[in-house]
Amino acid sequence: MSTAVVPAVVVERSIPMAGAIELVVYDPPAAAAVKPGQFFQVAVSAPHTILRRPYSAAWSDPARGRLGFIFNVVGAGSAWLAVRHEGHDLDLLGPLGRGFDLESERPVICIAGGLGVAVFPGVVQALVARGREVTMLQGARTAAQLLPADRFAAVDVQVATDDGSQGHRGSVVELLTDFTSLDIFACGPTPMLQSLVKATRRMDIPLAAIQVALETPMGCGVGTCLGCAAPRREGGYLLTCQDGPCVRADRIDWDRMLDTFHG
Amino acid sequence: MAESPDLTVDLGRGLRLRSPVLVASGTFGYGFDAPQVDRAALGAIVTKGTTLRPQEGNSPNRIAETPSGMLNAIGLQNPGVDHVARVYAPVWATWDVPVIVNVAGDSVDDYVAVISRLDGVAGIAGFELNISCPNVINGLQFGVEPGLASELTGAVRAVTRLPLWVKLTPNVTDIVAVARGVEAAGADALSAVNTYAGMAIDVRQRRPVLSRGNGGLSGPAIKPLALYAVWQIANEVRIPVIGIGGIRTPADALEFLLAGASAVQLGTVNYIRPQAAREVHEGIAVYLREQGLRDLRGLPIRSPSVLTHA
Repeated sequence: MSTAVVPAVVVERSIPMAGAIELVVYDPPAAAAVKPGQFFQVAVSAPHTILRRPYSAAWSDPARGRLGFIFNVVGAGSAWLAVRHEGHDLDLLGPLGRGFDLESERPVICIAGGLGVAVFPGVVQALVARGREVTMLQGARTAAQLLPADRFAAVDVQVATDDGSQGHRGSVVELLTDFTSLDIFACGPTPMLQSLVKATRRMDIPLAAIQVALETPMGCGVGTCLGCAAPRREGGYLLTCQDGPCVRADRIDWDRMLDTFHG
Repeated sequence: MAESPDLTVDLGRGLRLRSPVLVASGTFGYGFDAPQVDRAALGAIVTKGTTLRPQEGNSPNRIAETPSGMLNAIGLQNPGVDHVARVYAPVWATWDVPVIVNVAGDSVDDYVAVISRLDGVAGIAGFELNISCPNVINGLQFGVEPGLASELTGAVRAVTRLPLWVKLTPNVTDIVAVARGVEAAGADALSAVNTYAGMAIDVRQRRPVLSRGNGGLSGPAIKPLALYAVWQIANEVRIPVIGIGGIRTPADALEFLLAGASAVQLGTVNYIRPQAAREVHEGIAVYLREQGLRDLRGLPIRSPSVLTHA
């Protein structure tokens, strides 16, 4: 794990989809070091807050020294971050944690619920660069909250919305149809991940074929506060920050997993 | 250019630290998780609370941010004393910083067993007793009742010659009485204070944010409370007091040193600024130079021998 407190500067701010902010940050060492699925602890200066906020990098472009973060406003910290714009400094600690394991030849289905999509632009790009066949499944409440398909260039994108305003009406998990010998990468609210786990069990897909990017409350991000516990299948707890955030689904006790996702 | 001020500190029983700035239990793991921190700049590392047997810890949620603070109810997740002795201590023995093992338990026998196992193991410089644990026999925390706290301290004192610190809980009626009791029972220093009991409620879900309901509050929110506790204690005991509670900056640390603490521990700030201990150390050095002080001894703004309690 390479960690450093690095100076970073916001170079672009945009609204990639309804209810979300995207910050593009210039930080060449971070852009070069981060692997798909890893996260940064971002210092925020909102009044009366003290802890850093964990954000997965949405993508990185090492050649230009840039990386992106896509997030929504859920509290004082993200509200502060949401009004950063071009020229503002950010204090990033990271990259931290384990990203997705990209090493395999099998086709990959990436499945995202809500703001869980924020981790996937870079993941999909890295998979495509490895020559892997990728299908992107994205679910949201409504069409306006979908990250546009052009963010997943050169891959098949299918969408589901709760209100049926675009694509399949219903859960994104229902878009899974063909399960033969492939990998699944998932990120989204705990209930969505739990229904994904149930669906794959029904279809005899080994849980080890699924990798999930976990979201739990987090304190330090480096393994010292022990605050980001996620229930381990064999009892006890994993730490989201050190053992994850990306873990194989068979390592988690999904019945004990709390719904703390803020997407 | 003036001579560099002497920031070394004597915490009793021959333990001399190169800096008065330590890292607090539970905020630095066992010293292995923050590779970007220059360990050599620390006065000492106080480890995660260690128990006789491994503990899984509480179910999530374990932490919650509150105004200028955070609540935690980790539940003493730790690998147990045997792992600490066999796996961690040999590595500590190669480090250029003293490691103090924080010890927790739910009976006097537990504490005695943990410390007997670690006493004399290379790499362990001393112990800090976490007495905020409930006693299995009567359910009371050792730290809330001066008699229990003294009994525990005395029992542990009998099995180790290493430096023995007792970390006081502030959730008591009279912290000075507990401080006096553990001093009399043989403690070499007092760490003050542990977290303040508190809670937060999720109004949308209508339940406590922490799974256990309540937790311990740390961070800047508790600094004035902790400072006052240190001020009270330092005037009433002769052993060194190590100030803890929401310290982020050199000025925060200096407040504790002026109040009578001999050293300080940084806690929650380690989560946010891993280099905070070094910054605080350097800031104290700058202050001493500005004040024309050669060392830390002249800092306390009153001394027990001069001032009696009101």
